[in-house]
Amino acid sequence: FVSYQVEILDWKTKKQLCFLDKVEPNATIREIRLMFHKLYPQWYPARQSIKLDPKGKSLKDEEILQHLPVGTTATLYFKDLGPQIGWTMVFLIEYTGPLFIYFLFYFRMPFVYGLDESFTSSPHPVVNLACICHSFHYIKRLIETVFVHRFSHGTMPLRNIVKNCLYYWGFAAWLAYYINHPLYTPPSYGKKQINFAVIMFLLCEAGNFSIHVALSDLQRKGSKTRKIPYPTKNPFTWLFFFVSCPNYTYEVGTWISFTIMTQCVPVGLFTFLCFIQMTIWAKDKHCTYLREFKDYPSLRMPIIPFLL
Amino acid sequence: MAASGSGGSRADNGYSSQQQQPPRRRKGPGALATAYLVIYNVVMTAGWLVIAVGLVRAYLAKGSYHSLYYSIEKPLKFFQTGALLEILHCALGIVPSSVVLTAFQVMSRVFLTWAVTHSVKEVQTEDSVLLFVVAWTITEIIRYSFYTFSLLNHLPYLIKWARYTLFIILYPMGVSGELLTIYAALPFVRQSGLYSISLPNKYNFSFDYYTFLILVMISYIPIFPQLYFHMLHQRRKVLSHTEEHKKSE
Repeated sequence: FVSYQVEILDWKTKKQLCFLDKVEPNATIREIRLMFHKLYPQWYPARQSIKLDPKGKSLKDEEILQHLPVGTTATLYFKDLGPQIGWTMVFLIEYTGPLFIYFLFYFRMPFVYGLDESFTSSPHPVVNLACICHSFHYIKRLIETVFVHRFSHGTMPLRNIVKNCLYYWGFAAWLAYYINHPLYTPPSYGKKQINFAVIMFLLCEAGNFSIHVALSDLQRKGSKTRKIPYPTKNPFTWLFFFVSCPNYTYEVGTWISFTIMTQCVPVGLFTFLCFIQMTIWAKDKHCTYLREFKDYPSLRMPIIPFLL
Repeated sequence: MAASGSGGSRADNGYSSQQQQPPRRRKGPGALATAYLVIYNVVMTAGWLVIAVGLVRAYLAKGSYHSLYYSIEKPLKFFQTGALLEILHCALGIVPSSVVLTAFQVMSRVFLTWAVTHSVKEVQTEDSVLLFVVAWTITEIIRYSFYTFSLLNHLPYLIKWARYTLFIILYPMGVSGELLTIYAALPFVRQSGLYSISLPNKYNFSFDYYTFLILVMISYIPIFPQLYFHMLHQRRKVLSHTEEHKKSE
């Protein structure tokens, strides 16, 4: 039984920040983070990046000291990741914003369209419908955040949330402004267009929800190991035959339907940007799956069946 | 996020000192791509030389430096727009720069060329146009010859020095020209409602080009100092590195 010694250096200055004596060989990085946190209370474990190489990747909590390529005196490097915020909190903030910001425009708060129009309502039914759909979308997302999603890593840097909120809240305000504007023009093809859009919207929301539930069930049954998601009895999950990330496919579908419903260019632009962002995420996820699983279904594309 | 260090990022409006280093870990351009890039950079150098010569000849012919824009309007539009290819080069990976940063800088040049100077005819006689055209011309001639020589692995120190020094004057000069031109365009845009759309319309969209131009001008305030000081920093790094290299020989 050999006990290890662990020294932790600052990744940039290489100054020794702490020296841990008599560390058990089977100690996990999580335990080392806790020990480091005791010495430096301001650096809670979530904001510690502990690595083997100053410019390398952060070690995971589950890694075990004796399985790392270190001698009995291990040198690790520390980098402060800055204040962190939990994923659940991130999503709650990101999604509550658009929900309430839309209402400011729907109810025509005085500072939005001028005092003459304050608290008036639109003569077009589609405007009410759009408010219901938009709100439904974000309420669904909030419910999923609290009850459905399981997050793989706990936190994200705090400064990201400012950037993300500016984006989501900003766009919500921009599109809400036009949809609820006194000079709003309803869709060119009238009821046909709106009804089609509503049906598409509901199908995509149901699809997106089904996928989230399926993914969450996957995590529940086997804890840490990642598994290939497969179609279940739920027909909405059959999109898994064709794409790796059907949740993103359905999400883009939702926004396309909202664009058709409102016939509003800012919504279309937001949809386009969502599509680009989700395609990037889907490709990433797809590559990760391909790397991890030799028997990954070859028919699957990242986000659009057969195409992308 | 701004132009990163010696990673060869070309986020520089052409005024910068970003060094395009030969690729290290990445595969880098093959022989065919290198040949194409050399041709591209030579053509661009030639193009901007044509513009430079055009300016000088027009000045000598007219006897004044006013309204010289018309004498180089076509080559300016052609070669500045041609720079859009550089975005493609980054996207294809034959140039080790960030697509986003390159796109940003090329688009801002193309925007000024087409959406301001070309679109608002009344500003074409402004002296501010000459200011940025001269700045761009000198910068681009140096920049493209710098890339040409770098690709051929035979970079004369003079070109390197010029690229990392002249920006000190050229960058503020160009930015001033650009800002003054946009400012001159404002009343005409307001008057004509250029590129603007108002409610109601069936796309439920409105855009006020006048406000947009003002926002563009404001955006220079955070962006310009960042890039400028970054370039100064790059200059110190690159030119002092060359000094040490010489001493050690």
